Amino acid sequence: MTGEFNLFHAGYLLQGAVWTLLLAVIAILGGGVLGLVVAIGRVARPWPVRLLAGAYVQVIQGTPLLILMFIAFFGLSILGITLPALVAAGVALVLYSAAFLGEIWRGCFQAVPQAQHEAGAALGLRPFSILRLIVLPQAVRIAVPPTVGFLVQVVKNTSIASIVGFTELARAGQIVNNATFQPFLCFTIVAGIYFLLCYPLSCWARALERRLVPA
Amino acid sequence: MTHPTRRAALLTAGALLGAPGLVRAQAPDALARVRRDGRIRIAMDLGAPPFGMMDNRMQPTGSEVDTANLLVADLGVPLERVAVTSANRVPFLLTDRCDVVVSVFGITEERRRVIDFSIPYAAVASVVAGLPADTVRGFADLAGKRIAVTRGTTNDQELTRGIPRGAEIVRFEDDATSITAVASGQVDYFATAPALIEQVNQRRTNRPLEVKFTMRNFPYGVGLRQGEPALKAWLDGWVRTNVANGKLEEIFRRYHGLGLPPEVLEAARA
Repeated sequence: MTGEFNLFHAGYLLQGAVWTLLLAVIAILGGGVLGLVVAIGRVARPWPVRLLAGAYVQVIQGTPLLILMFIAFFGLSILGITLPALVAAGVALVLYSAAFLGEIWRGCFQAVPQAQHEAGAALGLRPFSILRLIVLPQAVRIAVPPTVGFLVQVVKNTSIASIVGFTELARAGQIVNNATFQPFLCFTIVAGIYFLLCYPLSCWARALERRLVPA
Repeated sequence: MTHPTRRAALLTAGALLGAPGLVRAQAPDALARVRRDGRIRIAMDLGAPPFGMMDNRMQPTGSEVDTANLLVADLGVPLERVAVTSANRVPFLLTDRCDVVVSVFGITEERRRVIDFSIPYAAVASVVAGLPADTVRGFADLAGKRIAVTRGTTNDQELTRGIPRGAEIVRFEDDATSITAVASGQVDYFATAPALIEQVNQRRTNRPLEVKFTMRNFPYGVGLRQGEPALKAWLDGWVRTNVANGKLEEIFRRYHGLGLPPEVLEAARA
């Protein structure tokens, strides 16, 4: 009834890995764009914008990712909006990543000394130009290590998408394990694939840090 | 992610989805819609051997896979398989992600409050397995033991109902994970279907488990949404015909090595 681990099983795991990668890319790109908006909102001058961005971060950070996926997949169905599993999982991951990235980046903005803002103002720059020309370039440098640390978390958190019926790497591993009954081999391969997905991110971060931080 | 959170999520979702009428309004008659669309979406769990699993070429196989194939052959529309786990079968059905569930879906009063079932087409025993050296004849003897079970299954329900003080239930997300935990020796007691114990023992050659006692026999049927009399009538008729002509019995015997239990045969004759 069960059989030895073979190439079909390996292929199935790789297929799961492709979905994991796709979900991670959606989360990172979408979360990055929305996260930047959130971060800017958190330090913006008008207080309603700050309040709104702050509330968003509080609500999302206070909600487990699992619940976000449940709401996106099952909750919206009750209201008559039926999202495919990929879209629901993607939306949940983007909302989740944006809150955390926004908060990480807000900290990085604020780590740039106030005197830099004042210097920009003294040069007659508008607030947006100060942000773009003076604060952002310095903040990016500070932001790289915590950002990449979080992105690695996002890659691993895609496994929660299995709850909405999505066969990503972790769920593919469970199914193959059930077909082969070789948990050690099967989950070692799954762990290896996760490592291969995450390690290049860490390497890239180290290279980026070296390039950005002045000697 | 902690397990209590996950459990709470499933329970909350179940409660929310129980709100009547919200989803049903979109699907006036499931049988007519299936015939019109020319396909039926059947939810199955392919991580639950020997009911639903993958063979050596990663093709679906198992008693529920054959049952679903028989069903679509008689209905005359192609099958669209929807992947579920045992825990999210009810939400998938209620949110119209599938038309029916063919996935060892035990007929229970709790589930009947929110969904509907066909008459049973097979039954699964819910047993507790453990180490041969221990004397365990009933729930009372489980005190001080850790018992693995798959969350949200009928096994979980029966075990939770009968568990004595001082025993610990260790819940896992699906059969695959439960089997892995028991097969790797993390837990020595397992509340499950008898078919899985043999599978576990293939990987637990040093300290195999044996069935200690049967908690209950669970007839299971095809799950469908409430308020679908046409589909229910068709499914009930389909079960009666295929119990009578022996096709369902043959499928069950092929994967489980025994015939259908008497309560299933009686229900089909009634």
